[in-house]
Amino acid sequence: MKKWMLMTTAIAATGLMAMSSARAEELNLWVRTSSAGVLEKLVDLYNASHDDKVVVTPITAEQMVPKLGTSIAAGAAPDGAVLDLIYLPTFAATDSLEDMTDFIKGLPYADALSPSHIRSATYEGKVYGVPALPDASIIAYNKDLFTAAGLDPEKAPASLAEIAEDAKKITALGNDTYGLFFVASSGSWLVYDFTPHIWAAGADVLSEDGRTATIDTPAMRATLAAYNDMWTSGSIHPTSRSGVGNDAVAAFASGKVGILMTGSYIVNLLTSQYPDVNFGVAPIPGPEGGASSFAGGDTLALMKGISPEKKAVAESFIDFYMQPEQQILITAESGMPPRTDLADEAYADFDPRNLIAYDILASARTPYTFASDELFVARTGPWVNLLQTAIFDGDIDGAISAAQEGFTKIPERTNPK
Amino acid sequence: MTVSIEQPAIRQEPHQWLGAAFIVPSLIMIGLFFFVPLIMTVWMSLHDWPLLGQSSFIGLDNFIEIAGDRQLWNSVGFTMLYTVPVTLALFAVAFPLAILIDRPLRAAGFFRTIFFMPVVIGFGAASTLWMWLLNPDSGVFAQLLKSLHLVTAAPRPIESFWPALGVIILMVVWKSAGFTMVILLTGLQSVPAEVIEAAKIDGANARSRFRNITLPLMRNSLLLALVLNVTSSMLAFDQFFVITWGGPQNSTITAVFQIYLASFSSYRLGYGSALSLVLLVVLVAISSIQLTFLKVRPEES
Repeated sequence: MKKWMLMTTAIAATGLMAMSSARAEELNLWVRTSSAGVLEKLVDLYNASHDDKVVVTPITAEQMVPKLGTSIAAGAAPDGAVLDLIYLPTFAATDSLEDMTDFIKGLPYADALSPSHIRSATYEGKVYGVPALPDASIIAYNKDLFTAAGLDPEKAPASLAEIAEDAKKITALGNDTYGLFFVASSGSWLVYDFTPHIWAAGADVLSEDGRTATIDTPAMRATLAAYNDMWTSGSIHPTSRSGVGNDAVAAFASGKVGILMTGSYIVNLLTSQYPDVNFGVAPIPGPEGGASSFAGGDTLALMKGISPEKKAVAESFIDFYMQPEQQILITAESGMPPRTDLADEAYADFDPRNLIAYDILASARTPYTFASDELFVARTGPWVNLLQTAIFDGDIDGAISAAQEGFTKIPERTNPK
Repeated sequence: MTVSIEQPAIRQEPHQWLGAAFIVPSLIMIGLFFFVPLIMTVWMSLHDWPLLGQSSFIGLDNFIEIAGDRQLWNSVGFTMLYTVPVTLALFAVAFPLAILIDRPLRAAGFFRTIFFMPVVIGFGAASTLWMWLLNPDSGVFAQLLKSLHLVTAAPRPIESFWPALGVIILMVVWKSAGFTMVILLTGLQSVPAEVIEAAKIDGANARSRFRNITLPLMRNSLLLALVLNVTSSMLAFDQFFVITWGGPQNSTITAVFQIYLASFSSYRLGYGSALSLVLLVVLVAISSIQLTFLKVRPEES
C-alpha cells in the first residue's frame, strides 16, 4: 500500500514537472478601454499562432494611473500595460518600469518607431516603452462651407490668423453656422489640440526635461488672443466652451461647423459613419504659420521585475504586431500604425486623407511631464483654467500669470529628485 | 421594574457571552471597514505618500500645509454656501409635500411613491442623468424651453457660477426632497389627533394650530431632517464631480472634491488623508452641535 502510494506520488510529481517545463507562459496586459478592441484582435491573432498567451484586461482610461499605481504599491501589478504615452515619464521616474533599451535598439525597424512615443518613454537615457497605437491631432474642415463662404476648399488654413479669418467668414453665412469648434472643457482635448499651435511657432509650455514652466511666450499670447478674438466675434460654436468631447464630431458632421480641432481618427470615423461630409484635413498651424501636431495614443510598457520568460513573450508579441500585416490591421482599426515607414503598405486600402496625419506623426510632439494629470488633464488644473479664462473671459494677462504659477509650483513637488 | 406575582420569575439572566457573540459580526465589520481604514488614514496623514514611489514620514507637515491651503478653505466656504440654500430649498419643497400627502386618501399613497421615487436612484446616476438633461444641444430642458418659446437660444447654466449652483440645487431638491418628506411625514403623523382636536374645540384656527401644536410636537423629526440634510450637503461630491466638474474656473469645488483632487489628481495620498481627517473633525463638530439641540425634548423647552 505504502509503496503504491509512493509510486503514484512520484508519477504525479514527474507529470507536474513535465507539465510546468512545457507550460506556455501567459502575459497579462492592462489596456485602456478605448484601445481594447484593436488589442484584443491582435492578441487573438497572436495566441492562435503561438504557444504562449497574451491576455488583455480593459481598464477605464481615467482609472489606469490610480489602478496601476495602487497595484504596483500592493505588489500585484500586471506584467505590463498599454497606456497613454503622456504617463510614461511619471512611471519611469519612479522606477516602476522595465528597461527595454536594448530590445528596442535591436529591432530592425527601430528608427521607424513613432519618435514622440520613444521620447516620452525615455528617462535618463533608458527607454521604457514601445509605441503601440499612435494618433496625431489635426484640423478637419468642411469643404462645402469653405466654398459657400468664398474660400478655396483645396487650401487648408496655414496659420491661426487664417483660421480666424476663415472662421469669421463661415460664421457670416448665418443659419447657426460657426467657424470653429474646439473642445474646451476637457484637459486631455485641450492639450491635444491646443499645444500644437505653440509648438508650430517654435515655443513650448514646458522645458524639454519637463521640469520648468515656459507658459509666458509671445506664441502663447498670440494664440490666446486669436482664440479670444474668435470667441468675442461669435465665430466659435457656443458648445465649445462646456464641451467635453462627446458633441464635437456630431456638431461637425451636421455641416454647421467650418473647422474642427480634432485627431487623426476623424478620417476613418467620418468616412464610415458620415460619408456625406465633404471634408479635408491638415496639420495644426501656429499663430503666423508653421505646423505641428500632438502625438497621442498608447505605449506598451512592462512592469519592473517581470520574469525573463514573460519578457520574452512580450518582446515576441511586440515584434508580431510590428509586422506589416498587423500594422495594416492597426491602421484599419485605430487609424494609424506605430511604424512610420509603412505608408504605402498600411494605407493602400484606406482614405488618402489619413496620410496627412501620418506624415506629421514623425514630427509630432508630446509634453514631457511628471505631472500630466495635475497640470494638463484635470479640469481643475492650471492648463484648463488658463485657456478657459483667457479665451472666454478675455483676461489673458491674469490667466497667463496664474498658469505660470501653477506650472511652476506643481513640478517643484512632482519633479523627480 | 416590577414583576407581577402571578408570573414566574425570570429564571436566569441570559449568558453575557451570548450577547457578545451576537454583536461580534457587526464589530468585525465595523472594525474592518471603519476602524482599520480610520487608523490607516491617520497613519497616512503623517506621511508624504505619493501614489508612485516611496512614502516618507513627515510628522504634522500635512496639517501645517492645510492651515495655509487657500484652495481648501475656498472649497470649505463654497460647501457652506451650498449647504444653506440647498437645505432651505429642501425644506421649502419637502414640507408642503409632506402636508399634502398626509391624508387618508388612496391618491396620497400614489403621490408619496412618485415624490419618493428619485430618492432610490444613486447620486452618481442621477447626476449623469441631469448632465444630459442639461446638455444645451441635445438635452430635454433646452428643447422644451425652446419649443415653448420661453428662450431663443439654449440656456448654458453650467458656464457661470450662480446658474450652475442653481441647477445643482434644483437637481438635489428633485433627488432628495422625497426623503426629507418622509421624515417630516412621520413627524406629522406622530402628532396625536386628540391634541389637534382639543385645540380645535378651544377655537384655534388652522394656522395657529400648525404653529403652536404641530410644529413643536414634530420638532424631533425636523431636527433629524436638518442633521441629515446638513451632513449630506457638507459631504456633497457626485453632483459637482459629474455636472460642473468644479467649473466654471474651479468655483464649484466642494470640500470632498478637494480631497478627491489631492488624492487622485495630484496623487498625494498622505495629504488627501490629512484633508479627510480635518473634514471628519468638522463634521463631528457640526453634528454634535445639532445633536445637542436634538436632545432637548419638546416637553423640556
